[in-house]
Amino acid sequence: MATTTERPFTLSVPPAELELLQKKLELVRLPDELENAGWDYGAPLSDIRRLVARWRDGFDWHKSETEINKLPMFTRDIDVDGFGTLNIHYVHQKSAVKNAIPLLFVHGWPGHFLEVKNVLPHLTAISGDRPSFHVVAISLPGFGFSEAPKKSGFAGRQYANVFNKLMLSLGYEEYVYQGGDWGHMLGAHVVYHYGHKHLKAWHSNMPFYRRPTLFSNPLLTLEEHLPTQAARVAVEKLTHWRQKGIGYYTEHATKPQTIGYGLSDSPAGLLSWIYEKLVSWSDQYPWTDDEVLEWISIYWFSRAGPAASIRIYYEMTGGNTHDTFEGTARTTVPLGISYFPGELLLPPKSWMQMVGKVVFESEHDKGGHFAAYEQPEKLADDLRRMFGRGGPAFGVVHGHEGYD
Amino acid sequence: MIAPAAEQPFALFVPDPDLALLREKLALARLPDELDGAGWDYGVPLADVRRLVARWRDGFDWRAAEEAINRDLPQFTRDVEVEGFGTLNVHYVHRRSARENAVPLLFVHGWPGSFLEVRKLLPLLTADVPDQPSFHVVALSLPGFGFSEAPKKGGFVHKQYGELANKLMISLGYDAYVVQGGDWGHYIAGSLATYYAHTHVKGWLSNYPHAQPPKLSKSPWLWLTDLVTPYSEREKEGWARTKEFRARGSGYSHEQATQPQTVGYSLGDSPVGLLGWIYEKLVRWTNGYRWEDDEVLEWVSVYWFSRAGPAASVRIYLEMTNRFERRAVDGIEWTSIPLGFSLFAKELNQVPRKWLRTLGNVVFESEHEHGGHFAAHEEPEALASDIRRMFGKGGPGFGVVPGKDGYV
Repeated sequence: MATTTERPFTLSVPPAELELLQKKLELVRLPDELENAGWDYGAPLSDIRRLVARWRDGFDWHKSETEINKLPMFTRDIDVDGFGTLNIHYVHQKSAVKNAIPLLFVHGWPGHFLEVKNVLPHLTAISGDRPSFHVVAISLPGFGFSEAPKKSGFAGRQYANVFNKLMLSLGYEEYVYQGGDWGHMLGAHVVYHYGHKHLKAWHSNMPFYRRPTLFSNPLLTLEEHLPTQAARVAVEKLTHWRQKGIGYYTEHATKPQTIGYGLSDSPAGLLSWIYEKLVSWSDQYPWTDDEVLEWISIYWFSRAGPAASIRIYYEMTGGNTHDTFEGTARTTVPLGISYFPGELLLPPKSWMQMVGKVVFESEHDKGGHFAAYEQPEKLADDLRRMFGRGGPAFGVVHGHEGYD
Repeated sequence: MIAPAAEQPFALFVPDPDLALLREKLALARLPDELDGAGWDYGVPLADVRRLVARWRDGFDWRAAEEAINRDLPQFTRDVEVEGFGTLNVHYVHRRSARENAVPLLFVHGWPGSFLEVRKLLPLLTADVPDQPSFHVVALSLPGFGFSEAPKKGGFVHKQYGELANKLMISLGYDAYVVQGGDWGHYIAGSLATYYAHTHVKGWLSNYPHAQPPKLSKSPWLWLTDLVTPYSEREKEGWARTKEFRARGSGYSHEQATQPQTVGYSLGDSPVGLLGWIYEKLVRWTNGYRWEDDEVLEWVSVYWFSRAGPAASVRIYLEMTNRFERRAVDGIEWTSIPLGFSLFAKELNQVPRKWLRTLGNVVFESEHEHGGHFAAHEEPEALASDIRRMFGKGGPGFGVVPGKDGYV
């Protein structure tokens, strides 16, 4: 029997790191704020002040660790062509249903593996005529407790390689995929390299693609100009994104190391950088302070450090010289999309046809960018409907239809 | 009503507890890793930051730097009222020439610059040398920078910067004056021209050639000539640099113009973060300038110890561009007072020359083979020479300030 490098993983942040964080929080130096700034200038001072105080006295990281460790977590070595071996961290929860559908869940930035937490029980549950899933939630290289690549050029093909190898190493010759944020973009890469052969169908909660041009898709370009509600929303969100939402993205994609210094050294800096997105990208999600602090702590205590996580923007865009879909092409692998109203960009639905063969669409009236976290039941329900009996992607994984 | 504080001499002195806090933070510095062979591709190289942090922690002598700053730069503060914003206490350098009729000149810095940028220019401009014009020099710390107070509310834009700077000059007895600026200093000089051309501002020289293309509706002749005249090699090169800067060098400005408070938390809390953020510009925006570590640390320390804190300084991007909804340069109106440009080889924004004429009556253009964005710091002799040539005898701006032509 082949040896495996899989090891169970227990999160246990060393006391020295906890002490360092504590000391830094005690020495925090907060800025002032303009009168009535609200959210107009970025994360409000009163929020950050309150969160820093809680982080310093009150937030119990050990309690979080204990809860997180209830998730079945592992690490294993994955060899990536040209990049050597990366030790990858992941959650792997099998369903009691033997023929459950293997599903790879992929997070983005500023997300992480814990985003699967709320949706996990729904997906792995046994419930009558609804399919069940074996769920693998990976920490992207450079995020959470996965190692980061040591050299430049780790992009779409490499991520796809890691994902596919991980699933194969777990015994899942065929599998399905769910992602949002980078999970969506990387989905296009995995499907391009391993679609049909291994990746049988995929689902995204972030309906994004490159803008159609008159040359490439004339009919689709017209759709934006139609006097429909959908077109209006699409244009509004895109305009807002381009003008006001793109600062972090541009910095990440051009100078990740520069911004990385502040994010590594200042807990308050890291907190605000991420908290701003947790709030503005979610749909009125009632974040508790401890929920936020746990989320940020994962970044603060991440194996490769917060600066490493930013590099994905640079690598996937060639330093902002091309878009994130470079190196992919449309495939006929079945694709499902969930539309959540609070998502950052909501292009016309026809755009997703450029990405793949859309077989499933679902529209919701609540939920934002962090769909799996904010609306786990809705997302789980979408996946069940897509992959369950009578669904458009039923039985895509041979022998693993989701029912016993 | 409390009378606004008259001029007070200012001696830079950072309280001991602030020095201690900086040292403590530096002792706890947590640095990231770096990709193999990253160089400058991903931002500031780790080796540079590591070395600078170590020096900042043990070796760099801030008190000695303070002493030298106080010795080289005669500084003051005074209250200036700005309509709708109350009173702001403004910090500035002021040195008069020995020559009574020296030309009053206001020097305006930008971001991540400071009043320190006038340091090398000061002796050159105020010198009393025969056959050479002399200047009385005022260099303010912009509100929210250096040791000036910051505005307390939003909306402090072109008009307010103009009002503040103009009132400062008048309060110093300079009813008429000329202006020199780069980076935000370019836009503020342009704002001063917009609101006070002829009445107070008599001419301006910018080393940051940023302007919008001429519009058919506003300047048809310029639009037409721009359309049909081929660009020179230098203009083409400059434009390529401009596009490269916009595509790959302007992440900081996107963030600062949209979420200044968010990035402000790390700039205010982490000396390492602040160092990385500013040092990147000091190196990338200069042209072969050999920075000494202590020079860099002094520069960044001014931001770290600034009166309003580093976060306040980046708000100018949001205010002046109205959250990136418009270009800062759109706040400048064409005036007929003499306008000059000092064009340094590796400046970031280099637009075709004709575009500059949309900003004013361009009477002086001086091209340099050296220098970059921080002209006053990198090429003080060249910039001082341009200032003298523009405003001195035989220059297109000679005698613009009545009774103060710069000579005996």
